[in-house]
Amino acid sequence: MSTHILTSDPTGAPPRTSSKPPGVLRRVWAQSEGRVGIVLTAVVVVLAVFGPLLAAPLTGYTPYQFADRPFAHSGVFGTDNLGRSVLARFLDGGRLLLLYSVLATALGMVVGGALGMLAAYARGWLDSVIMRLNDIVLAIPQLVFALLAITVLGPKGWVLVVVIGLTHAPRIARVARSATLRVINEDYIRAAEMYSVPRWRIIGREILPNIAGPLSVEAGLRLTYSIGAIASLSFLGLGMQPPTADWGLMINENRIALSVQPWGVLLSVFAIAVLTIGTNLLADAIARATAQTTVEE
Amino acid sequence: MPEPEHRRRPGAHRLSRRGLLGSGAALGSLGLLAACSNGAGGGEHFQVEGPPRKGGILRVGLTGGSAADTADAHSPVNNGDIARTVNLYDPLLMRDDDYVLRPRLATSFKPNAAATVWTATLRTGVRFSDGSPLEPEDVVYTFKRITDKKDPKVIASGLTMLDDVVKTGPHTVEFRLSEPNSVLDDQIGQYAGGIVPRGYDPKKPIGTGPFVLESFAPGESTVLKPNPHYWGKTGPFVDEVRLLSFNDDDAVINALLSSQVDAVSQIPLALVEVIGSDERMAILNSKTGRWMPFTMRVDRPPFDDVRVRQAFRLVVDRQQMIDQVLSGFGQLGNDMYGILDPAYPKDIPQRTQDIAKAKELLAAAGHGNGLKVELVTAPIQSGVVEAAQVFAQQAKAADIDVSIRRVDSTTFFGDDYLQWDFAQDFWNSRNILGQTVAGTVKDAPFNETHWDNPRFERLAAQARGELDEAKRAKLIRQGQEMLFDEGGYIIWGFANQVDAYQKYVAGMKENATGIPLGGYNFNRVWIGEVS
Amino acid sequence: MIAKLIAKRLAVSVLILLAVSVIVFAATLLLPGDPARAILGQQATPERIAALNEQMHLDQPPVVRYFLWLGGLFTGDFGLSTSANAPVAVLLGERLGNSLVLMALAALISVPVGIAVGIFSALHRGRRSDSAVTWVTLALAALPEFVIGIGLITLFATSVLKILPAVTMSPPGQPVWLIPSQLVLPTLTLALVVAPYIARMMRATMIEVLDSGYIEMARLKGVPERRVIFRHALPHAIGPVAQVVAIQLAWLAGGVVVVEFLFRFPGMGQALIDAVNYRDVAVVQAVSMIVAAVYIVVNLAADIIGIMADPKLRSAAA
Repeated sequence: MSTHILTSDPTGAPPRTSSKPPGVLRRVWAQSEGRVGIVLTAVVVVLAVFGPLLAAPLTGYTPYQFADRPFAHSGVFGTDNLGRSVLARFLDGGRLLLLYSVLATALGMVVGGALGMLAAYARGWLDSVIMRLNDIVLAIPQLVFALLAITVLGPKGWVLVVVIGLTHAPRIARVARSATLRVINEDYIRAAEMYSVPRWRIIGREILPNIAGPLSVEAGLRLTYSIGAIASLSFLGLGMQPPTADWGLMINENRIALSVQPWGVLLSVFAIAVLTIGTNLLADAIARATAQTTVEE
Repeated sequence: MPEPEHRRRPGAHRLSRRGLLGSGAALGSLGLLAACSNGAGGGEHFQVEGPPRKGGILRVGLTGGSAADTADAHSPVNNGDIARTVNLYDPLLMRDDDYVLRPRLATSFKPNAAATVWTATLRTGVRFSDGSPLEPEDVVYTFKRITDKKDPKVIASGLTMLDDVVKTGPHTVEFRLSEPNSVLDDQIGQYAGGIVPRGYDPKKPIGTGPFVLESFAPGESTVLKPNPHYWGKTGPFVDEVRLLSFNDDDAVINALLSSQVDAVSQIPLALVEVIGSDERMAILNSKTGRWMPFTMRVDRPPFDDVRVRQAFRLVVDRQQMIDQVLSGFGQLGNDMYGILDPAYPKDIPQRTQDIAKAKELLAAAGHGNGLKVELVTAPIQSGVVEAAQVFAQQAKAADIDVSIRRVDSTTFFGDDYLQWDFAQDFWNSRNILGQTVAGTVKDAPFNETHWDNPRFERLAAQARGELDEAKRAKLIRQGQEMLFDEGGYIIWGFANQVDAYQKYVAGMKENATGIPLGGYNFNRVWIGEVS
Repeated sequence: MIAKLIAKRLAVSVLILLAVSVIVFAATLLLPGDPARAILGQQATPERIAALNEQMHLDQPPVVRYFLWLGGLFTGDFGLSTSANAPVAVLLGERLGNSLVLMALAALISVPVGIAVGIFSALHRGRRSDSAVTWVTLALAALPEFVIGIGLITLFATSVLKILPAVTMSPPGQPVWLIPSQLVLPTLTLALVVAPYIARMMRATMIEVLDSGYIEMARLKGVPERRVIFRHALPHAIGPVAQVVAIQLAWLAGGVVVVEFLFRFPGMGQALIDAVNYRDVAVVQAVSMIVAAVYIVVNLAADIIGIMADPKLRSAAA
């Protein structure tokens, strides 16, 4: 996936004071993109969360039991490379992907958001140091960075979360920094400083709520990329490890029989596609909803 | 050398087992590249009967090649190296399709009564590919090179007792040993023991094999031309053999289906039935002695308790292993290696899954509440990582929690190789005593289970010194019984070697050595004409 | 003014590249494994391993090794590949060419198509065709590249049409482009990943320009619409879009890894994954540095284009 440009969409104007969440949600729902995004995302989230419970009752097999010879056509969607039920593994295969993506995004938001606000608030040399470090990390393509880290540390869950989260951080920091810079000169911040309100309180009470708009757009985007990145790594064989049931890994394992028994690949591809499209539409709708200027069209 | 047999059609009977379950759809979809196929369509017939036809080019697709490929007679590592070695050189003896040792460059190879001196009588009239005659000095030179202390070659580990190789006549060579060895013929009858001329330079390889090296680009392609001085009676029939390296199974199978190559070695077993059902393709399905054991270190907990080892062997459903991992293309294993060895004790009852007994043994060993172990696996051979997953699933029934740790091959064969508590490995067809020397005596170079048993050691030494075959078989049996009862290997099966080729290719034969495509004996292969 | 800005960006880029080289080198230092043993094999004697370690400077402290390595980079000496036992430059030469061909083809397709679609969409703003484009580009932009690739394989190679090869399989030693059909799907995959971003940016910028005062003026003056679009609006929209194009091209350097793996394409990305699997440190270092360098150079180009296109700076220089 590419560097996004959605936030630089000229229809997005700088946010002003507190936009209350219920209002944002309503404005998201008001757009057709937002509605479709919410529905698509919800479908896959429900599938990922409740699928594991349904796997055995629906198929008669757990995701790890053997149902037939490898790549057989028995059952609804046939069997995988080891003769396990594709449907059972598919139902079980979204949970970790979703969990790790959310964790990675959260980590990136916390680290990137903190660094960005700090840079903007402190200015001076600290700002320069943080932003130059940012540039360095940004100069290494995300995937190459992840490959290096996973090779050194091994393909473990926490490594995936940390690596993906940290590669998001610089991008989030940029957004947080520029958003903070925009509000920091507002009168109410100045006033708070004059009354010598503690800095952490200013950041927490005044700045954070006011940059929540752009940050939530960023969170939606980063979630989309986290899903794509973790699925890609599993697809490369460097993410989730066997015998885990996971969509990305299923594609890796069953790809050789794509022409013979395509379901092991296609179900997962479809689920990942719906999920990333859903979160991306949602991010886009949030961007418009928080933009506060009249949405075009 | 037998005449090339008429081409077989093994694909046909393979299919019947499971019927054509779903292969109607598969059949069509496998013609991935039918559009750019330059080969003949499925409806045509080929003249692959009768006397071999001369001429044509044989293109063979291989996987596993890399920039480290070699044409060195004594250092073959991967699939392509083996194909080059077999066709460029000849050892003194070599195993045939039925895994019987046959004379090659030696017409006889006989031990003295104590099995301390073996005498090879060389075939007369053999010339190297540069025209020079084969002489005893060349054999002496070859084994000096193989056992060079500074750079020991592949088969050197089985020749540690070899003191000296001496010319004793115009056609005879003596192998003098420091201790008796009744199976030296097995040790030198390997593809990596090819005889090379004095002053051999692996960069400009000269041998006595049916082909000579025309060009060689490591990791890419090898071109072989017939050896004008070839001594053998059979072939070569084709004008040229091209060995082409492909990155992986997908690419090589696509190349076969689009007729870019004529034959490929080792296809994924899960795809055998669909490829076999393609009218243009033939399958070569050879039973072999290749095994992919789980290795338990007998000197480390929890496996230092023999009851744990026995329990682990009892949780394995061996038929399910063969079905899921090998798609049914294999023979049952009984925790003993060397199934092709005439001395293999076939009458020891087949061990089968017995979860209740396994739980009992585990409880007796103090693991009544279950046991957690880590299994180290790596994609070192197709089926190994898969076997680990099937084992982990089967072991659950006995409350054994197997966590799989997949590492890459480099790590697996790195510093911790042979040190893992619980891991896997793979071995090709070998005779029992040769395997014992390699892996299950105290100082064996690959003693991955850390098997160290004085009684076993004595039996092995005795067997090596015993020339009487019946007596030797008895000693071997006693040793095998020990491994069956207490050993650190879980040997669940022996995998078949399955290759595929175009039906116009003639002269391919099933071969039990585990070397693909009929042991890579391309001298007997020919290209059939459209009839 | 412009020259000074560009010089400054150039200097920053060089510094960043140096910093990246430190990170890459440090990361590969941590890779487990013993390169000399990997080259010589299991049965190598300690003497030979020591000799090779000395030859590869592995007996030196890391800082010295870093500078030796960095010095090598400038002279085109990327070190010795442990899996190939050959110079990295030889190993990667052909693969770099293959990857560049793939990336160039993808750029050649995606840039004009993206721009054309963006303009089309902007001119049909609010109509059904525009909203269709918006939906499709938004959906495509969300998909991971391997999802798009597998979709294309299913459509054109294995299930529906079966007219194109699913994997690259040029006979060894032959350049990939001698069989053009196998370039189609990888190129198309990359193009489909990149083009939506360009199209979306083009649409947004174009709409902004079309709404601006001087276009209004031109229209009021009675300039023909075609002329308004191509002579007045387009040149103003191209600056910001060029930056997005550059960013997308930079992305190609990294994105090509997954696509090459998917199509078994013998390029840099495949080499990187192989090298990571074989612990081939020198190759990992070389590929990471090349990819980062491409990334930085293209980003630099984007910045320079941005500086040149900035009307304020341009007028200041004039």
